[in-house]
This record gives sequence, C-alpha cells and structure tokens, in this order.
Amino acid sequence: MRVTEGMRYSQVLSNLANITSQHAKAAQEASTGVRVGKPSDDPIAAAELARLSASSSQTKTHLSTIGNVRGDAELTESTLSDASDIFVRLKEIALQAANGDLDAQERQTMALEVTGLKGALVALGNTRGTRGYLFSGSQVTTAAFDPTGAFQGDDVAHAVPIGNSTPTTVSTSGSEAFVVAGGRDVFADLDSLATALSTNNLGAIRTAIDSVDASHAQLVNARARSGLVLSKLDASQDILTSLDTEQTKRAQTEGAADPYESYTRVTSLSQSLERAISVSKQMLDLGGSNRF
Amino acid sequence: MSSLSQLLYTARDALTAQSYGLSVTGQNITNVNTPGYVKRDPLLETHALGTATTGTVTATGLRRATDVYIERRELAARGSAAAASEQDRQLASVEAMFNDLGATGMGSSLNALFSSFSSLAANPNDPTSRAAVLGAAGALADRANALAGGLTDAKNELLKQAQETAAEINKRAQSIAQLNQRITVAETQGEDAADLKDQRNNLLLGLSELVDVRTITDNHGVLTVQASGATLVEGGEARSLGIDLHADGSLRVTATTFGGAVGTGSEVTQFLTGGKLAGIKEARDVDIFDVASKLDQLVFDVANAVNAQHRAGFGQDGVTGRDLFDVGGIPQDAARNLRLGAAVAGNPAAVAAAADAATLPGGSANAVALADVFNTGLTGGRTAAETYGDIVGSIGQKKSALAQSVETQQAIKEQVQAMREAVSGVSLDEEMVSLTKYQRAYQAAGRVLATVDELMQDLINRVGR
Repeated sequence: MRVTEGMRYSQVLSNLANITSQHAKAAQEASTGVRVGKPSDDPIAAAELARLSASSSQTKTHLSTIGNVRGDAELTESTLSDASDIFVRLKEIALQAANGDLDAQERQTMALEVTGLKGALVALGNTRGTRGYLFSGSQVTTAAFDPTGAFQGDDVAHAVPIGNSTPTTVSTSGSEAFVVAGGRDVFADLDSLATALSTNNLGAIRTAIDSVDASHAQLVNARARSGLVLSKLDASQDILTSLDTEQTKRAQTEGAADPYESYTRVTSLSQSLERAISVSKQMLDLGGSNRF
Repeated sequence: MSSLSQLLYTARDALTAQSYGLSVTGQNITNVNTPGYVKRDPLLETHALGTATTGTVTATGLRRATDVYIERRELAARGSAAAASEQDRQLASVEAMFNDLGATGMGSSLNALFSSFSSLAANPNDPTSRAAVLGAAGALADRANALAGGLTDAKNELLKQAQETAAEINKRAQSIAQLNQRITVAETQGEDAADLKDQRNNLLLGLSELVDVRTITDNHGVLTVQASGATLVEGGEARSLGIDLHADGSLRVTATTFGGAVGTGSEVTQFLTGGKLAGIKEARDVDIFDVASKLDQLVFDVANAVNAQHRAGFGQDGVTGRDLFDVGGIPQDAARNLRLGAAVAGNPAAVAAAADAATLPGGSANAVALADVFNTGLTGGRTAAETYGDIVGSIGQKKSALAQSVETQQAIKEQVQAMREAVSGVSLDEEMVSLTKYQRAYQAAGRVLATVDELMQDLINRVGR
C-alpha cells in the first residue's frame, strides 16, 4: 500500500485527536469526581439519578414536614401534661374538701380556686401552635373553647404526608381530650366540683372525686395519644433519615467516578499521549523531503 | 539507420520529455498539501513516425491517479459521517437543556411543586405556604415554557440552517456545472483538464458533506451529480434544492430548475439520507420532535392530574372547582402554553388545601391528596418523576448512540480517505525518486546532445580541413 504525506498527517491528527479527547474526558472525571455529568455519559445512570433526585426530594420534604409539625405535636403533649397536672391539684382539693372538719367558708375558698383552675384549663385548651389553635380541629382560627368551656372547633384530624402509604394524623382532638367525645366533659366536671364546694354539699363533693378521676384519666389518655404521635414522628424521622442517607449514597455511587480507577486511567492515558506524540514526531520526520 | 542530425532530434525529444516529467513531478510536490489534488503521472511513449520507429520519446500527456469506485465510496462515507456528526451536535444542545445533573432540567421544578403541597398540608392556613405553592407552580410553568421555547428556537434555527445549507448546495452545484462545461471545452480542444477535474472533485467532496451525493459519468465523460435522489447537476446544467415546511411543520426538500421558486418542482425529502442536511432534518423532525412531544405529554398529564385534584378542593374563600394551571385542551404545545390558572394567579387564598368547605381554614386533606399526585401513575402508568426520568434517559441513550455512530462513521470515512490517498495522494518519497529519475535522464539526454555536438564538430573540422 502506498503511504502518502496526506495519510501520514491524517493518521497523526486522528490519533492525537482521539487520545487527547479521551485524556481530557478522563482528566475531567478524575478532577471533578463526577462520572455522569450529562445524560449521554451513562443514560441508564442519568435516568436513575433523575428518579433518585425525585425520591430524595420527597424524602427531604417529608423530613421537613416532620420538622414543621413536631413543634405543635410537642406543644400538644406538654399542654395536655399541664392540663393533667391541673387535675392532680383538683383531686387534692376534692379530697381535702371531702374532709368533714372543714367549714363552709373554707370550701367557698376552695371553690374559688377550682374556678380559677377552670380558667387555666380553658386557656390550655386554647393554646395556639404554628398552625393556629391546637385543639380546634380544622377551625384553627377559632378558639377551641369559649370561657364556659363549650367546644367551638371540630373533630377534623390534621393529617400530613410523611412517607407512609396513608397520611399520618398529627393533631389531638380537642373534643376527645376535653369534652364529651372523649367520654367526659372535663369542664362540666370542674363546674360540678366548684358548685359542690360553693354550696358546701359534702355528698356532691365526694361524688365529684370520681368525676375528677375520670376526667383526669381522659386527659392522661389524650396525652398518651399525643405521645404516640410524637413517637410515630420520631420513628418516621429515623426511617426517613436513614432513607435520605441511603439515597444520597446511591446518588453518589451512581454518578461518581471511582477515584482509583479514574486516576489510573488518567495516568495511563497521559503515558499513551506522550507515546503518541513521540511516534507522531517520528512519523512526520519520515517525510520524503527529509530523507533526500 | 540514424544520422547524427536525427540523433540531435532524439536528444531534443528526450530533453523535452524528461523536462515534462520533471514538470509533472514538480506539480505533484507543489500540491502535496492541496485538498482534492490528484497525483499525476506523466505519460511517455516512444515516438513513431508512420511505420518507422524513430527511437525518440514523446510526452503524450498525463494520467490522474484516480479510482472512481473509491471516490464514490468516499462521497458516501463523507455524507454519512457529516449527517451523524450534525445530528449529534444538534442533540448535544437538547441534552444540555435537560441536564438535571447540571441543574438545567425540569426535575427540580417538578419536585419543588410537590414539596410545596406537602408543606401546605403541614400548615394549610399559612399564607407563606400558600404563596409557596403558587411560586412553585409558576416556576414549573416557567421552566416548561423555557424548555419548550428552547426546543422551538432550536427547530427554527435548524430550519434556517437547512435553508443556508441548501443555498450552499445550490452554489456548489452551479460551480460544478460550470466546471463541467469548462472540462468539456478543454477536452474537446485536446487540452489537459486535470486541474479543472481536481477543482470539481474538491467541490464534490464538499458537496457530499452537505447532502448525499451520487455521481455518474457517461460514455462521453459527462458528469451527472445526484443529490437526495434528484439530479442536481447534469453536464453544464444545475438544478437547485429548496427547503420549506410541510403542513405538520416538518422540513420539505424540493428539487427544481435552478433559481426556481422554493416549494416548486418535485419533493425529494424521503430520499434524503446523508450529509449535513440529513443530519439537520433527523435532529429537527425526529429527535427534537420526539423530546418535545414527550415533554408536552408529561406537562399535560401533570397539569391535568393536579388540576383535577385542585378542582376538588376548596380555597380559603370557600370557592371550589378552580384549576391550578391553564394548560389547554390537548397535549400539543402544552409545555409552551402552561400557565398559572387565571383564577389562582396572585391569589394564595385560592389554593385549595381543604377537601371540604366545612374544614376551612385548617383542613389539609386536599393538600395531602395534591402531594400524593406525585406518586400517582400518569399516562402509561408511570409517575411524573419516573416519566421525566424516562425522558432524560431516552435523550441520553440517543445522544450516546449517536456519539458512537459518529465515531464509527468517522472511522469509515478515514479508512476510505486513506484508500483514496493511497491511490491519488502524493508521496514525497515517490516524487523524490521521480525527481532524481527525470533529472538523471535529462542529464543523460544532454550528454547525448553534447556527444552528437562533439561528433558533428569533429566531422566539420575534418571535412573542412
């Protein structure tokens, strides 16, 4: 086969262009640590990365949602704890008042304290979180209870998507915690005790002790339910954090270059490039005009 | 039997012939780097006079070292390589638009919309969360518009490029036709038309990178050039290719008499198989069309799924049945037309977070359902994120396959070029040998002349004494 000058130049150009292009790509991969910089670098990995990005975004959104609702859930739990503490004091008052040694004046004073505690309980029932009134259901802009303790909200649960197949309820029903939907109207029980004390009715006072116990139990149950919500949020957060870590790791594995492999490749291609330049020089030096 | 004076003529003819050989060798060396130049060989013959052999030499012309089959293969190889390269170049710009790895795609906007629904579910009465939903929906619409606009711009740009390419094809076709005429005239007059043929060859090589080219030479040496199945040049006559659009917006290629109006003449679109023009057509009417269709379908499906759920919910004002997006009634151009719904734009209170008017203002059931649209299968049963991933993957696969095709076609082109070079290229090694060969022959002929001269001098001196 005849070898012409044009063939020599073309071959040198083609070889150098080819190896330089490979070297540049390998050097970029090694220096950035990124193997998949655009879809055509690895179409399957790129599609997978796009889907992973969506899943990861959803996971992060769920984590953010948990962060957003956790404050209100914690506030609900502590509010119900405070409400429960009020009933501990109410029980003490009722037991003390049931003692036959007290006179009417002393029971009247106790009635005033009970009325004050009712006001405090109403205020707790109307605690506001970031979303609005905690115990109003969906009526977040309306106080859950009026000053008499009448419920003004609804029983609509606040549910949010945090990665489960069904949305997770993160609110506690005000009506179940404080009024008849839970079995007892705690405000009515307070009123009964206050009335029994103010009228110095020893029999009614002794009856009210059971009512106070039942109301206390209702609040303790509500607090337990709100504690379960927090536990569920904690559990979901743990799972989602692990998932997020796993997704981030997968995204890095899918799109990242192996540092050892890419460095080895760059080194190998650098040597190939040096050899190609040396051979090219020899090929060009073989030109006819240099030999005659 | 030769006389001395005849020997003089012999030496003269030898000097002329070797000088011609030197001249052709010089031409070859001079044009070693000239594109399209075909190596020449001087044709030397013994000189016959009638039936007698005179023993002298004559240069009858030169021979261009060509192989018509290799030349045809090179035209085809160049056309295929140019088509693949152009298509690859165009798809690279589409790939850049959908490169979520480089933060230019639509994936993050889609994710942000569904994240905003989740945030709204956490706090449906929060004006900031509501505004964030409108912001994310508006950003998705802007991104879809930008992508659709980018694809439309690319299509318009490719139409212009196709028209400019056709103009370049027509210019070259006319030049080839003119060269055909000059070659015919030169050869009719017995002149050497090698340089003109080189020029024509060079034009053909360039033409083959613009459109698929076939050449036919008839018995009289008249060259016919066919491009995209149509006769573009026949002897001294050139026709022209025109580019306009079909009713469906795809490119239409027509062949007409030179200077004829675009769109007249016969349509040859379906025969276009190679060259830059084919690459442009494939990129515009297949690749970009395919991506734009998939994007439109995705946007149409997402907007309709979100709208259906949004219509079912209630805004803070108690109004229901409002769309979050305006998207039009058909998938075509959905990405370009996507807008925030007129009834919700600028009105965060209109975002329908509640599933029931009775649950206002804190009801979040519809916001939860809107967030769940993200996990719902659209057309084809794939979720929005999966469908978008499929689009990105298909662009990557196409681009990757094209990059391989470019490498293959380039390798084939280089092989055929090497074959042509082996036949038609100038080898300085050979030329240096030829130079020495003709130089020595010239020197020897000069020696013959000097010897004859000496003999004649000797003869004259002896006779004249």
